[in-house]
Amino acid sequence: MASSGRISSLDPAQASTVNTTQLISALGDPLYRLRRDGSLEPRLAADRPEISADRRRVTIPLRTDVLFHDGTRFDAEAMAFSLRRFLRIGTLSYVVGDRIQAVEVVDPHTLRLVLNRPSTSLEGLLTAINLTPISPTAYADHRDQFLHDRFIGTGPYRLSRFTEHHQRLEPFDQYWGQQPRNNGLDLITLSNSTALFGALRSGEVDLLLSASIDEDQRHTLHQESLAGDLHEAVGPAMEIGYVTLLSNSEPFQDASLRRALAMSLNREEISDRVSYGLRRPLRALIPPSLPGGQRNAWPGHNPAKARQLLSKAGYCNGRQLRFPFTFRSNVPADKLMALTWQAQVQRDLSDCLAVDLDGVESTTVYRQLGEGAFKAVMLDWRGTYPDPEAYLTPLLSCTTVEAKTCEEGEAAISGSFWSAPGLQQALLQSDSLRGTPRQRALQQVETLSADGSAYIPVWLNAPRAWAQTSLKPPQFDGSGQLLLSELERIAAPVREH
Amino acid sequence: MGRARDLARYSATRLGLAPLMLWLIATLVFLLLRVAPGDPVDAVLGSRAPAAAKAAMRARLGLDQSLLEQYWSYLNGLIHGDLGQALINQEAVRTIISRTLPASLELSVVALMAAALIGLSIGFSGIAKPEGKIDFAGRLYGLGTYALPPFWVAMLVQLVFAVSLGWLPVGGRFPPSLLPPDGSGFYLLDSLLAGDWQALRGTIRHLVLPAGTLALLLSGTFTTALRLNLRRTLRGDYVEAARSRGLSERQVIVRHGLPNALLPVLTIAGITVASLIGGALLIEVTFSWPGIALRLQEAINQRDYPVVQGIVVVIAALVVLVSVAVDLLVAALDPRVRY
Repeated sequence: MASSGRISSLDPAQASTVNTTQLISALGDPLYRLRRDGSLEPRLAADRPEISADRRRVTIPLRTDVLFHDGTRFDAEAMAFSLRRFLRIGTLSYVVGDRIQAVEVVDPHTLRLVLNRPSTSLEGLLTAINLTPISPTAYADHRDQFLHDRFIGTGPYRLSRFTEHHQRLEPFDQYWGQQPRNNGLDLITLSNSTALFGALRSGEVDLLLSASIDEDQRHTLHQESLAGDLHEAVGPAMEIGYVTLLSNSEPFQDASLRRALAMSLNREEISDRVSYGLRRPLRALIPPSLPGGQRNAWPGHNPAKARQLLSKAGYCNGRQLRFPFTFRSNVPADKLMALTWQAQVQRDLSDCLAVDLDGVESTTVYRQLGEGAFKAVMLDWRGTYPDPEAYLTPLLSCTTVEAKTCEEGEAAISGSFWSAPGLQQALLQSDSLRGTPRQRALQQVETLSADGSAYIPVWLNAPRAWAQTSLKPPQFDGSGQLLLSELERIAAPVREH
Repeated sequence: MGRARDLARYSATRLGLAPLMLWLIATLVFLLLRVAPGDPVDAVLGSRAPAAAKAAMRARLGLDQSLLEQYWSYLNGLIHGDLGQALINQEAVRTIISRTLPASLELSVVALMAAALIGLSIGFSGIAKPEGKIDFAGRLYGLGTYALPPFWVAMLVQLVFAVSLGWLPVGGRFPPSLLPPDGSGFYLLDSLLAGDWQALRGTIRHLVLPAGTLALLLSGTFTTALRLNLRRTLRGDYVEAARSRGLSERQVIVRHGLPNALLPVLTIAGITVASLIGGALLIEVTFSWPGIALRLQEAINQRDYPVVQGIVVVIAALVVLVSVAVDLLVAALDPRVRY
């Protein structure tokens, strides 16, 4: 199996890349897994979580028949060890930290989480790969530091070889659940899209998993799968692509200009030109597959209305709003998007608007985002766990608001510096409600965000995997992880290498 | 006696200057990394990590110290052979280099040998009939391969021989289904010493495309260099004297022309192998070759200061050492060289 991007650390407290979380999902089990229909499937938990009347205590019964790869037993102490360690050193601990007050061991097979506030999104959080339990014995010397080159979990595979560019997985014969349908896997890393594409086409690898393969090659593989030459698996679309506008300085202090920009964007055309329609047009921050997600919170392409807003703000009729649009130069899809938008603006609104393109390498973009360095920038985001909260909070949450400007908080880190009266309260409230009231609260947040238009959603991207026809068709779970243990060879490989 | 003394003085001067050059390079890299945008703590923890966690990591890595303190600490480590630890996974930089450098050296040496063989053969083949068809073809080859964009050639070679024909692997250094041989990290050597023919076959299959592409791109330099030097040498008085003594043209070329023409080529080969160690980035990226250049690129993207500094210093040291060694070798071989 080939993918791109080397794996520098196997520690779940540090894992953030698609490759790493995919690997950890095979080596370990989360408490719960999200099914494709959106329901929770207990994995290391024995049943669904019990929530107290005040919704501040979540009690999780655990399985009793689980062993770690080092032969030690999984129990509530081990789960508590892993959660506390994540809260102490986890690089994504901010997603948990403000919610979990304490982790308690009720009995050897019952765990209790004491919450600071009721949190509906907690259930989704419990499916996060980052919270995968690890053996307290194996990590005794790494309670407060990362362990990068080993992973001792409870999953269907154990790691028998690890280098940054090659990992070998072998079935764990004492696994509590169903044994893998294959004899093991070799995961290799190739450093560019053409090599990945070529490795699958030539039959050198059985399976290709990549979020970063070039659009042309992705399209070709898609076509080949339609022709029956390959299997294609598509996971739930959880990665959003969006434009962030700097709302605390000229020219985008003016919300009507931000809205005009949102209307100048023809998402359908961008989707076709950039990705042959494989990246779906998106007009919301929450992926539509998640509960509470809307389809069309943001306005669609409407150059006439955009012109009207720009004219009202003093542009058009001889005065052009020219702005720099930054894209990550090492992300080919972003560059194509930028070029297409620039051409759309030139075609539809050349007397009012002009886009100057500026490619900047992604490390620099992320470093300077929170410093307000970019007037408009193309970015993407994939929630750490499958819940609307994982999309709204990282973009909109704000701890210090001055007028409509976010001085401190996630909205500042995200480079928009935008907030609105009532937004933070609506965000917090949305996480404390359940069912229809929660969906209404989420819709209110999205409506406020669309009105502010400091973010302009562009597209929605789904993980894809392609396999040789000598394998059974691969499948993703509801969190976007490929089910590696389900991979099964049904015929001789296409070509020996 | 006088020449031996001159040579010794020359060697001492060249070797004495090497540490100064290394210090300058190390300092430059240190400063450039600090000036470049991008925070290594963000790269490790992510930009959304709590401020306290970031501050703690900054203190642990010494990034909260003044630039001068960081610099002294860096130089002190360097002098004691401690290149530090990677920020991303705390792996010793020395271990990273010892893992990736053999891969690059193996690729460079094999490519250079193939380039020299191809390039010198073509350069030599046209000498019998200057300005003839073969000579013209050699000139064209020299110019053409020199002008080819490396990335384009590498992609083309990969698409034809790996993807379309499926003769050779697309990338990587070793078949994933096998375990690499233990030893020095030079897989050719290790598998030969272990008598592991399957590993040897796998290593060679993975080497052919990247080394072949590099060899193709470099061979033109050898063709052109040999052709020009041989033609100049064959116009020399001592060659005329040899001809007048009744030696055959073949004897003239092989005994008198070639040894003198090859001396500048030796210098070119030395410089080439030194620059290849860190300079074969495009080839390493295209063929997913896990060498030092690819690792350097990844470290730069992640702002992993210690890894970048360590790799650049080691590459610089190798370049300096190889160029000094070649200079000394040429000086020893060629009595015309003055100091």
